[in-house]
Formats: sequence, C-alpha cells, structure tokens
Amino acid sequence: MNNFNLARYSRKNGTLFLLYSVLAVYSLVTLAPFMWMLITSFKEPSDVFKIPPSFVPSMLFSDTPFANYATVWTERSFVSFFLNSTWVAFMASIGQVFTTSLAGYAFARLELPGKNVLFAIVLATAFVPTEVTIMPEFLMMRWIGWIDTFASLIVPSFLVGAFGTFMLREYFASLPSDYADAAYVDGASPFQIFYKVYLPLAQPALVSVFVIAFINNWNELLRPLLFLNSPEKFTVPLGLMSFVNQYEASWTLLMAGSVISTVPLILIYMLTQRYILQGFVGGGVKG
Amino acid sequence: MQKFKLTTALMLCVTASPLLAQDIVLQYMSWDPSQLEVEQSTIEAFEESHPGVIVKAQAIPSNGGYWPKLTAQAASGDLPDVMMMSSGFVQEWAQAENLLDLSSLVSDDEWTNYYEGAASVGVVNGKRVAFPQNWVAPVLFYNIDMFEAAGIEVPNADWTWDDFLKAAHALTIDENDDGRPEIFGFSLYGRYAHIEPWVFRNGGRYLNDDLSALELNEEAINALQFLTDLVNVEGVAPKPQDMEGIRQQDIFPLGMAAMWVDGSWNIANSREIVGDQFQWGIAEVPRGPDATDETVASYAWADMLAVSATSEHPELAWELIQALAGEGVEADDFLGGKVPAYIPVAESEEWLETDQLPANKGVLLDIGASTIYAGFSPGWSAWRGYAASGSGGMNGELDEVFNGRKTLDDAVTAFVEFGNDVLSRQ
Amino acid sequence: MQNRRRIVITALVFLLPTIVGTLIFRLIPIIWSFALSFYEWKVFDKAVFVGWKNYAHIFTSSISLDVFVNSAIFSVIYVAGSLALALVLAVVLNNGLRSSAFFRGAFFVPYITATVAIALAWRWIFSTRFGVLNNLLIALGVENPPAWLADPAWALPAVALVSIWKDVGFYMILLLAGLQTIDPTLYQAARVDGAGPIARFRKVTVPLLTRSLFFVLIIALVRSTQTFEITYALTNGGPNRASTTLAFFVYQKAFVDFEVGYAAALSYIMCVILGFLTLVSFYFRRKWVHE
Repeated sequence: MNNFNLARYSRKNGTLFLLYSVLAVYSLVTLAPFMWMLITSFKEPSDVFKIPPSFVPSMLFSDTPFANYATVWTERSFVSFFLNSTWVAFMASIGQVFTTSLAGYAFARLELPGKNVLFAIVLATAFVPTEVTIMPEFLMMRWIGWIDTFASLIVPSFLVGAFGTFMLREYFASLPSDYADAAYVDGASPFQIFYKVYLPLAQPALVSVFVIAFINNWNELLRPLLFLNSPEKFTVPLGLMSFVNQYEASWTLLMAGSVISTVPLILIYMLTQRYILQGFVGGGVKG
Repeated sequence: MQKFKLTTALMLCVTASPLLAQDIVLQYMSWDPSQLEVEQSTIEAFEESHPGVIVKAQAIPSNGGYWPKLTAQAASGDLPDVMMMSSGFVQEWAQAENLLDLSSLVSDDEWTNYYEGAASVGVVNGKRVAFPQNWVAPVLFYNIDMFEAAGIEVPNADWTWDDFLKAAHALTIDENDDGRPEIFGFSLYGRYAHIEPWVFRNGGRYLNDDLSALELNEEAINALQFLTDLVNVEGVAPKPQDMEGIRQQDIFPLGMAAMWVDGSWNIANSREIVGDQFQWGIAEVPRGPDATDETVASYAWADMLAVSATSEHPELAWELIQALAGEGVEADDFLGGKVPAYIPVAESEEWLETDQLPANKGVLLDIGASTIYAGFSPGWSAWRGYAASGSGGMNGELDEVFNGRKTLDDAVTAFVEFGNDVLSRQ
Repeated sequence: MQNRRRIVITALVFLLPTIVGTLIFRLIPIIWSFALSFYEWKVFDKAVFVGWKNYAHIFTSSISLDVFVNSAIFSVIYVAGSLALALVLAVVLNNGLRSSAFFRGAFFVPYITATVAIALAWRWIFSTRFGVLNNLLIALGVENPPAWLADPAWALPAVALVSIWKDVGFYMILLLAGLQTIDPTLYQAARVDGAGPIARFRKVTVPLLTRSLFFVLIIALVRSTQTFEITYALTNGGPNRASTTLAFFVYQKAFVDFEVGYAAALSYIMCVILGFLTLVSFYFRRKWVHE
C-alpha cells in the first residue's frame, strides 16, 4: 500500500533489524506453547514432566514414531469425533454468517422502529455466562427433544450470534451510502441493494465471522458435554476428555489429540486470511 | 492387546446394532475413562450372563465434566441406573433423595467380604446408598536410597513425629551451603490428602459432631502447627511457592524430596517417573503425640457405585454393581494404588505386586483394617477447597501459612469463619 | 412512503431468525436463570425460594466483594493491554513489512492453541526456581524475583498477561480488517499537505479506525468478564483466591459447590455492571467514533 511505509522508514533509520528482532522474539513466545504441544505429542509419558524440561521428541527416533497419533486416531475413535465436530462447526458457522449478515445489515442500514433496542438486547444476551444459562438450556433442549442430537448444538448458533451481528452491523455501517442511493434511483428493491451491492462488499467481514464462529463452535465444551450422550456423537473436545483420568491425565495422548484438534483451525485460518485481508474494499466500486 | 481390541470392536457392533424391543438398557456412568476401559471385559461378561440386557457405559472425567453432566441429569430425572459416587458428595446426593437405598438388596454376610471402613461412608442416615468399589488412603512415601545414604532406618509403624522430624533434618541436604537446600527431607502441600492424615492421626477433628460447624480441636491445631513449623521453623520442607512450576506430585519422584505424604493413587505416577532410578517405599503416616487409642484415626475414602432412585431396573443395577465391585473384579482392574473394596482381591498376590515398587503395598491393607475417619460434610468442596474451588477455603489459607505470609492463627480464624458461613447455608 | 414500508418489511424479514433465535435460545434461558437467582438450588436437589437472600449474601460477603475487585482489575489490565498491543501489532504489520503474513499467523496461533498446552508452557516460564523468566531476571541481577503465580500480588496480573497474549492476535486481525477499509488516497492527500508519519497516524489512521477500535473495545470488555480456562489451568484462581475473577467464581459456585442460584445472582450483578459500562461506551461513542 502506498500509505506510510514503516519498512522503508526504518530501513532509512537503520532500525529495521531491531524491528524484525522484536517481532521475531515475540513470535517465538507466541509459537512456543504450540511447539511444546507438538514435541510432547512425540514423547514417552515418562519424559513429559522432567526438570529441566526436555525438548527432544524422543518417540520420533523410535520404531513407532507416530504411536501416540495412531492410538488417538484409531483406538480412541477420533475419526468419528473429528467428523462430528466438522459437521457441527461448519453448519453452525454457515448459519451464523447467513443470519448475522441479514441482521447486521438490517441494524446498520434499514429503518425499523425500535431496532436499536432490539440490537441492545441481542448484544446484552452475550453478557450472561454460559455456566449460568446452561441448566435451563439443557432442560429446554430436553423438552424440545433435542438431547443427543446435533440440532441442539447447531440450531441456536445458526439463529443468533451476538458477536457476528455486532461485527457486521459495524461493517455495513462503515460502507458509504452513495451506492444505495444510486441503486434506489435505478429502482432496486431493498433486498436487491443488500444482495447485489453491499453483501459482496462485506466479504472480508463475512469470512471473519465464519472463521470466528467456526473456532468457537469447534472448541465448545459445556454444551456438547450436557447435550450429547452417545459416544458415537461426541465432538473433539469431548474426545479429549477421554485422556483425563481420575487422578492423572495421559499427557502424550492428550497433546497428540490437541494437535489434531488444532490443525483444522490453522488450515481454516490459512485458507481464509487472504479473504479477510484483501485491502481497501471501496476501491473497486468507486467509479 | 490384540484380543482386547477385538472384543472392543465386537462390543461396539453389539451396541450399535438396533435394539430389540425386549432389550433392557442399563446406563452406567463412570468418571475414569481408563478404568472403564479395563472394566469392559466385566461388562461384556455381565451382558453374556444376562441375555437381553445391554449396558450402555460412558466415562466422563471427574475433574472434567462428570459432575455438571450428572447434576443436569439429576435435575431432569434422567440419572443413569448405575453411577460412580464420591465420598465427598454422597451425603448431599443421598439427602436430595437421588440414590436408592440398597439395604434391602445387600445381605449382611455380603459385607464380611468388604472393608468396613470404606463401606461405612456409603451409609447416610442409616441407609446404604452407595457401595464401595475401591478405596484410597494417603501414605508416607519415602526414598530408600536417601535413607541409606544418610544412614538411618526407613519409617516403620512405630515412628513418632519426633522420629520423623529427626529423619527429615538428616535428609535435608544443602550441598553448597547457600541456605537453600537442594534436597529436602519432606515435601508439603496444603490439600486434603496432604494435611488430613496428620491431623486425624493426631486425634484431630475439624467438624463438630453433627457436621454443622467447623470447630477445630486442639489436636487439629497442634498438627497444623507441626506442619507449618516443618517449613517455616525447621526448614526441612520447601515453601510451596518456591516449587511452583513443578507439579507437587512430581517433586518426590524427581528426587527433590526424601519423604512426602499424598494419596496412594500417586503410586502410579511415581512408578512412571522414578523408573529404576531409586528404591522407594510407603508407610503409614506417623501417629501424633496427642492421639489416644480412642481418637487416633486413619484417613481413607472410597470411590463408590450407586443406583439412582429413578432406576427402572434396580435389581439388575445392583447385580451390575456386584459385578463391577465384587467377585467379578480382578487385581488388574485397579490402577496403581487404588485398593479393591472386595477383600479377597485386595489380599491377593496379584494386587500386592511385590515384584514392583513399592514392595510393601500391604501397608495400605493395614490402614484399611484400622479405624477410618473421612471428615466429609455437606459443602465440603467449598470449605475445604476442592477441585476448581481449590484456591479457597482451608486450602487457600494454608497456602498462605506455608508460604510464610500469614500466621496459623489468622488463617484458622479466616477459614473457620468462611467454612461456617458455607455450612450454615447447607 | 411505499418505499418506507417496503424497507420496514424487509428489515423485519431480515431480523426474523435473530428475533426467533434470541427469544427461544437466549432470552428464555436467561429469564429462567434470572428467576433461579432467587432460589437456593443444588441442581440435584429441589429448588427453594429464598427471595433476595443470594444477593444479600453477595453484598455482605467479603469474598464476593474481593472477587468483584479482582474482576475489575483484571478487566482494566486486559482491555487496555489488548487494545494497545493489538493496535501496535496491526499498524506495524499493515506497513509493507516483508513476511508480515508469517508474523500475522504466528501472533494468531495462541488464540487457537489448546489451553492445556498454553498453561503448561506458561507455568514453566513463570516457575519460581526453574522458570525462564526468573532465571533471566537473576542473570540481569534481580535478587529474589517473585513467585509469580504463587504470589497474591502477581498472580492476577500474570493471568491477565497470558490472557492478553492469547487473544491479542484475534483483536489484531479485527483491527487489520478495519485498517484495510481506509482509503489510501487519504494518506496521499495528507502527505501532500506535508503531514509526517506520526501526524498521518494521528490524523488519518486513528480517526478512521475508531469504529473498529470501539468494536474491539466492547468485545474485549465482554471477553474480559468471561475469562475462565486460562485461570483454571494456570492458578486455579489462587493463591488464596487472589486471581479468582467472576466467571471463575461463577463456575466454582455452579459446578463444584452446586449453588446454581448463587451463581446466577453473581452473574446478573455482573451483567448490570457490564450493561451500564456498555451503555456509557455507546454514549461516548458519538463523541469519538468517526461515523
């Protein structure tokens, strides 16, 4: 971009090396726990809590380098947990993009008496911690008959997302209104203006909402714990629980499972980041 | 191993196949995934001997989600037929009428096969509401190599607190004389499994007789003072905060302390970490100077199985419990340091494992035969500080004392006030 | 007029899923649990109506009041720290550095790394005798560095720091998205007017980013009151409750002590405070958010 260029500025100053060093050190701190998780997933159980810590993935040099992963993936039926989680998180997030884009647009750009009160209510519901509402939610799901079904996890997330609504409301409101005015003159309906003009412009925000919703649904623990009963319906976080025993966890398996659980999130991030960060959105439309 | 996998696969097929109309489904909820894995063969045998009965078993870890899940099911009336029940919570669950009274189902001579102390926790208001499966007890772990190097005798049943203190001094080693020992005689921590055995072995009690208030007797205060002094006066145990960053259960097996008191379940973790690096054993926590034969008690508690009051098949549920806790069990089902409640298995060579360390697991059986006191009450998790509440109550205050930031008097005043507030709301 | 009615109808249709979902899956459980805050309910036992007793107990218990103070301190550190660091990272990475994609990814990784792994790694960093941090401090000549996680004075800031570290990549991404909506021609215009880099940051970037900053502020505020996993895994709320914040206390009350009514009362007190803060924020928003 042709705004202020820090790289050029610090190169002129001779501080570029310093800048890179600071960023490199910080990224070391952000990556270290992940690396530790990865290394531990290739260790023998007795190596996990050594002092000083060992950074050698000892199992990699044995006959069965992927033993922990094999155990997790096949014996502990992570295949099925993985598929369940993918389905639940994908459906819930797609739904959330659908509903929050409609709601965010309505809150930002359409006239409706009392819409600000409604928005305040939607936002306020995010303030109440799940720990408190989970028992009523559970009893309600039981009354509806959704216990031990994926619907109990997908439908609520499909229909409402305070974070996504808020984010898209802000995003739609930040787009200039001249497009709408021009379209009105051309006789477009409110829906056409939303669908043809504003929705394409909101692509980065829509992708962001999807990614965040996916991460949140993927990691959700309390609701699947209470709503699901059959092991064949369990999600990955519930599967990870099977490595925690009464007095001691199976740390190497837990870490292998955690790596497996994190990989899809990293992939989603890598696949979507260029859509999220695609540059000034107004540029292409201005004529 | 191969055989085990095959049977697991077969079992999955059985449970996955459509249920026949006349099939009876028994729900069983456990809090230990690895234990459930070893129980699978027992469950399979039970299904074979009870045609038309299918056991749907599920394990959610007790410190992960067992209690939220179980409470939700209690609230909706969907409790599993058979569930694990802890000594700490059984009273409250019984008072809320969630647990079936098993008195009529259990014959009296059945009890002669079970440890009485472990079984007694399951009796609430005269009703037997839970049946012991296994029990655990805190013990004194000691590093035999370090005792030999210091030229002193390892702990025995006659040890006094003075003997213990002398040994702790002899075993505390500050090689470079910087006032900061490299190896401590003892490792101390403030949780129930580390403190209560000293208190009860000194005749101490926290609660009054009807469990309605905390009234620490002098024996209890003296025991707490003795432990406090180990850190802050004698210097034979490190301040817990100086060891932060190492899990407390790893300090002894890593060879950083010569003695340590914690629950017998730590035998498994210690075996894993120690390997063959040193010889070690276990002993009863020494009897305190204030105890009399009437007041001295050992601390032990049971993991139990209970039948829900709403179960439609109480007899079958009871039979499943017998299979899981009684004659059906094998020594292998009890992971290092859990003692079978069923005496014939506990006394078997297979359970004693004399070929492994500690070579004297029989110490646990002596504890099981002695007078047991567990000291649980409604609200225990809050006033004692248990699981996610572990930073509060007695735990939180004792941490401050052992870290030298608070006097024992102030701490006791604070946690008694807090505990009585908790108990007054039960 | 015709147009206006069409817009209202479109708005209603657009909002229908949200209204239905909010009503059924949010408001009903919320109202239900609010009603529970007037009960003593052990979940596995019968609920007993106790009126204002739970609330009265909270306001007279020094422990609950300490928890509110801890939460306030935590929120201030977390919100201010997250916002400042996220802004710095976003602006730096938005400025044509080579390999900024790598850094963006690296800074986002903690947000998706399993909390158990994060806690184990940070406990080593903070370890009193064996930790990276204290060994570094000792090498720099600090005598007796603190026992971070076991010292009541340091545990709460330490938990807040790790929480910031975990979430800041997420806020950074939100701000980066905001930075990209800024029309580059504005920078050119400012440069023509003779504005230096700092002036351009103050006069162009900050005013045009206020909307994103406000959004991140509200999200961070809400998240700060719901922190649970990091606390649980790092300090378990200790030592002696020094790092126990509201969400953690609510969890203890609901799932360890089984006092669901009490937990609900705590939450609704928190919601009132949070709602008030949010209203205040929206009020001041008019003054500083560049619409």
